[in-house]
This record gives sequence, C-alpha cells and structure tokens, in this order.
Amino acid sequence: MTRKHRSIHRLIWPILAFAVGLGLTFALTLRAPPEPPAQERAT
Amino acid sequence: MSVGFRAVQWNRDKIVYDAILLAGVAGFIGIFLVVSFVNRPPKDRPDEIDRFIRAFGACAFVMLTVILCIGPLARLSPRFLPLLYNRRHFGVLTFIVAALHVWFMIEWYRAQGNLPNLLVELTTWGDYLKFVGFPFKVLGMAAFAILFVMAATSHDFWLMFMKPPAWKALHMALYVAYGLVVMHVALGIMQYDRSPLIPAMLFGGFGLVALLHLLAGMRDRRHDSGTVINPGWIAVGPPQSIPDKCARIVTAPDGERIAVFRDGDRIGALTNLCAHQNGPIGEGRIVDGCIACPWHGYQYRLEDGCAPPPFTEKLATYRVRIQRGVVEVDPAPLPPGTPAAITWGRG
Repeated sequence: MTRKHRSIHRLIWPILAFAVGLGLTFALTLRAPPEPPAQERAT
Repeated sequence: MSVGFRAVQWNRDKIVYDAILLAGVAGFIGIFLVVSFVNRPPKDRPDEIDRFIRAFGACAFVMLTVILCIGPLARLSPRFLPLLYNRRHFGVLTFIVAALHVWFMIEWYRAQGNLPNLLVELTTWGDYLKFVGFPFKVLGMAAFAILFVMAATSHDFWLMFMKPPAWKALHMALYVAYGLVVMHVALGIMQYDRSPLIPAMLFGGFGLVALLHLLAGMRDRRHDSGTVINPGWIAVGPPQSIPDKCARIVTAPDGERIAVFRDGDRIGALTNLCAHQNGPIGEGRIVDGCIACPWHGYQYRLEDGCAPPPFTEKLATYRVRIQRGVVEVDPAPLPPGTPAAITWGRG
C-alpha cells in the first residue's frame, strides 16, 4: 500500500468503528419492546 | 511463467480456491434454509421467500466480514496470505449472493402483489428524519451499488486502466459498504426480530473487522516510526540482520517504504509497492532468483527491479552501500529498472 492508502486506512477505521458502534448501540437500545404474549393482551 | 501473456490465467490454486468458496456458500445457505424450515415451517409463499431473503442476506454479510478480515490478517501473519490470493473472486461472489438477496426481496413484494409499496417506502421522506424507522432498504441499496462497482471493476483490465493507486483507493469504498450493510441490518430486521443471534452477528462481525484493522494499523505505525535516518541515507542494519532471501522494510522521509533484500551476498533495494496491485513486495521472498510478491506471485529481479522476460513490469530501485558494517539505502528512488544491487564485501 502507498503512504496515502495507509493514511486513509488510519483515518477511516477509527471513524467508521466509532460511527457504526454508536449506530448499532442506539439501534439496539431504541428498538420497540417485544409484543406481549397473547394471554397477557387478553387480560 | 508462461511466454504468452493472458489477462485471465486460471491455475489449480484459483480453481481450488473457487471450489472451496462455492461449496462454503452452498453449505451456508443450505444449512440456513434447512434449519429455518425445520424449526418453523413457512406458512405461506411470502414467508417462504422471506427465508431466502434472510439466508442470502446473512451469507453476504458473513462473506463481507471474511473478505474484510483477510487484508489485516495477512498483514499480521503470513499464514493468511493464501486467502488473499483470489480475494477478487470472493468479492464478485459476494456481489452475486447480495444480488440474489435483492432479487428475493423484490419477489417478496411481487408475491403479495404490492410492488408499488416498495416505492412508497423509499419515498416517504419524513421517515428519513427518524433513526428507528429510517428506510433501511436505502442503506442496503447504497451498499449494493458499491458492491456492483467493486465487482464491475475487479478485472485486471480496470486495474491497468485506472492504475493501481486509483484502483486501490476506489476499492476502499468497500469499508463504507460494510458500514452501510451493518446499519441496514440493525435498522431493518433487528428492529422486529428479537433473536439474539442478529445483534451478536453484527457486533461480533463488525467488532472483529474493526479490531483487526486497528491492530494492523498500529503494527504498521510502529514499523514506520522505527527507522534511524543518517544524513541523506537510511541505516538498515548489518547485512546479516536481513534474513537471507528476504527483506527488511525501511521508511523513507516522505513516508513511502523501501524493501531491502539480501540474496546470499547480494543486497538490493526496491520500492515496497508491487507494480500489479501495490502489494507489499518486502513481505515476499526470493524464489528461483527472483523476488516474488506475496499477494499474487509477480516476480522481479533483485539486480534491477525488472520482471523476468517476457514480462515488462519494472520497479523503482534505490542505491545501497555498506558503511562501517551497516547497510544503508539512499531514499531517493532511481528510475524503474535501474541496476543498483551490490555484492556484500565488495561494495
């Protein structure tokens, strides 16, 4: 790899890891709670 | 090496690589479908198609994860180099699997007679302001477009047409595609399927890829900062410190790397960039008198950086000298193909 490619690697991976890690965490914590079982809904 | 050059050359290694790849894909999708159908038989045609969407989607995700692990793994240990050899076929097959995932998704809409709903989903502009509820299919479509460009330009014709630095830079868009795929799954199926396997797959897969890239980057950074520079020349070390038929890599002041090889009592320095895909020549070995690139086996002579006839690739060489028992290299590159190797002890 050329010096420029190495620089791109070093720049892109920390940013990508942070952005996707944050996005994944939000996507997991903000998702809607599971639907209650049918019997609970009936009561 | 054969006399007649052909752009596409099949050999036993490539055929074995592709056969293992195809068997792996068929095995993954087959096992996924069997387990899914046995655990919960589909209740109707759309439900059946949905299993295929998931099978091909999961397979494409796993393939992308493996592809992105190959590069850093090969930099961390040469044991993984065989995986790199035919990585482009791996990429093209990933695009085909992803294309089948898209095709089954369209089929899912068609089976219910509501294909126009897909357009409605994509053009409900208010949803683009949401996080949960974002039109996740757009993320998948963007990733698919990148995979298409990668697959379409994967042939050596495009590599030669664009030149290796530009081609390599374009193919780094795969990292962005991977991030889009992760978020496509996280904002898509993970929102309504409570299986713990989905977040485990996403966190595990992306975490592994990111960790390997960061580790490989840290290792390279140590490498780049470890060179001692004498006035005008770079000190490499005593001749014996260069393993026979291998190289030590040093970094020039401009940041580019130089591979200093030793073949018995001959010492020569070349750019660390292979003319084919800018692979790390210095991580290769001298085989049958020629330096062989570890990525695809492109060969160059130690003497002058020229590929042996009938091939025409040439690498930039560097002047080398031995001062007080230490090999030194002049960081100013010579024109590609310039003889510059020396004999140890005779200067």
